[in-house]
Amino acid sequence: MRWKARPGWTAGPVLETARCLKREQDRGMTTILVVDDEFLITDILVDALEEEGFRVLTASNGRKALELLDKEVPALVVTDFMMPLMNGLELAQVIKSNPDWARIPIILLSGAQGAIARSRPELFAAVYDKPFRIENVLTAVVEAVSAQRRS
Amino acid sequence: MPHELPRVETGVEGLDAVLRGGLVAGTSYIIQGHPGAGKTILSNQIAFHHAASGQHVLYVTLLAESHERLFENLSTLTFFDPSKLGNGINYVSAFTTLRDEGLTAVVKLLRQEIGRTKSTLLILDGLLNAREKAESNLDVKTFIAELQGHAAFAGCTVLFLTSSRVDESSPEHTMVDGVIQLKDEIFGVRSARRLQVRKSRGVKAMHGYHQFEILDRGVVVYPRLEAVLGQPSMPDSPTTARTTSGVAELDKMMGGGLQQGSSTLVIGASGTGKTTLGLHFLAQASPEEPTLHFGFYETPERLKLKARTLGLDLDPLLASGALEILWQPSTENLLDGLAHKLLEAVRRRGVKRLFIDGFGGFERAALHPPRLVEFFTALTNELRALNVTAVGTRELTDLFSRQILAPMPEISSVTDNLITLRFVDQHSRLRRLLSIQKVRDSAFDPSIRELAISSQGISLPETFEGAEHALEGTPRLDGRTRS
Repeated sequence: MRWKARPGWTAGPVLETARCLKREQDRGMTTILVVDDEFLITDILVDALEEEGFRVLTASNGRKALELLDKEVPALVVTDFMMPLMNGLELAQVIKSNPDWARIPIILLSGAQGAIARSRPELFAAVYDKPFRIENVLTAVVEAVSAQRRS
Repeated sequence: MPHELPRVETGVEGLDAVLRGGLVAGTSYIIQGHPGAGKTILSNQIAFHHAASGQHVLYVTLLAESHERLFENLSTLTFFDPSKLGNGINYVSAFTTLRDEGLTAVVKLLRQEIGRTKSTLLILDGLLNAREKAESNLDVKTFIAELQGHAAFAGCTVLFLTSSRVDESSPEHTMVDGVIQLKDEIFGVRSARRLQVRKSRGVKAMHGYHQFEILDRGVVVYPRLEAVLGQPSMPDSPTTARTTSGVAELDKMMGGGLQQGSSTLVIGASGTGKTTLGLHFLAQASPEEPTLHFGFYETPERLKLKARTLGLDLDPLLASGALEILWQPSTENLLDGLAHKLLEAVRRRGVKRLFIDGFGGFERAALHPPRLVEFFTALTNELRALNVTAVGTRELTDLFSRQILAPMPEISSVTDNLITLRFVDQHSRLRRLLSIQKVRDSAFDPSIRELAISSQGISLPETFEGAEHALEGTPRLDGRTRS
């Protein structure tokens, strides 16, 4: 599949930043929540993020993501747009309207609704159109987590 | 008048005719076929048509294939409208739910999702996976019954897609209201796609096989002609009015020209003048009598060149729109596809004069030749009802045989008038002969004429006056029987 990480891919600066993060993570794992109804995409993101030292939780739709958020607040949410029960836009709106969660950066991975998401910059730290390059998403995750830490 | 069930248009060309109006609203169908048979394209085409009318569609996959891959493939088709993704058509995967939580959880998810998205069409791709997850036939029945129940309450029509050949006694087959099967089959060295409605509760769908193609605009179904036009689309209203054949002498022989709305068959071996006769007929095109050439042999350019050598100029007629030339190379055609293309071209321009060159092109396209009599009967009846004056050719394979055999059985059901052309050998010179065998309900000149072709076109001199055995190919003036 086009968006699958090629064997042996490198992302020098990403890894560099990730290593810095890893050092920070020595004080505690950074948790990322991945929300997508398509298991192939969640599987690939989980593998890639875990390789970078993140702890990853997954949910197959927005509503299940909220159930997880009630129990644990992740450092960042990566979500699909089109999902059953609650889509990525609705999920982002709920997260941003809750004071406990409002500061969680959200990255949206979208099949065709990128334009809708880009018109709502207050909701999303980054928006990627599928098929996306995994390196780009990892870079965005690392940058958003670092920025969050700094602030 | 019997009660008609409310319908959901599929928007797929030809399919609504096969289903006699579309899917029955609020009921469920299985669309089955092997991988590559066209299920996904067909169902997405229905989805986009449904969404185009402002209604909502829920497309649920139980497959491992990604939606992005699906969108990439669909983006090569003209019906695909990316603005509808997530905005009219929601594509969701229930694979994880099926794998981790089972069939009951999938039903619950879909019930909630149908309500949330206000969908009136649910497409469930991957019924086979649901079946594999089921522990018994009863589980499959329960799954389908529950989904049907929830969908019906929501006024939602359901399409289950499955790649397995669902047996008629299988629980899926017994539960659903309709089964549409798609096939891609090999005939000799070629393949042809065929659709069959194997079950349709509450609707007299057109049963049997219907050919279809997948074109840039998606699936196009060609309802089997003799089924869709078992009766012509409008009542026949024959007249006694005549129109010219384009050859004044022939008009005179036929008692004043061709009857309007009649069909004339011109038979003869290659080179006997069939197309030449047809070009004279075409050259009489006018805005009042839009004319169509539907041919399998000469390209439009060659046809125009041939006309020029006869003193006929088709260019102004083509430029004014009085004449259209539709050329179909006689390669891998679909019989019903040809007929629907022909009838579409006739209806589009209100064609009144039609030249088909020739029937052999249709015969070559027939995957099941025994149906040709019924096919030509339906085609001819429809052309008559549309008041089209049609002239068609049929090539005979024997160049110099003494016998001329009717080129097809039941010839009177497809032709009002019959004209034979042949070569004759007279004084060691090859001549062309024209003979009229039949003009329906009209007197005609039975004399056998020479068909002479010059740069001024066709003339019909009485070269064989007094000769015998002309139709056998060897006219003799002295009346002696052949030895």
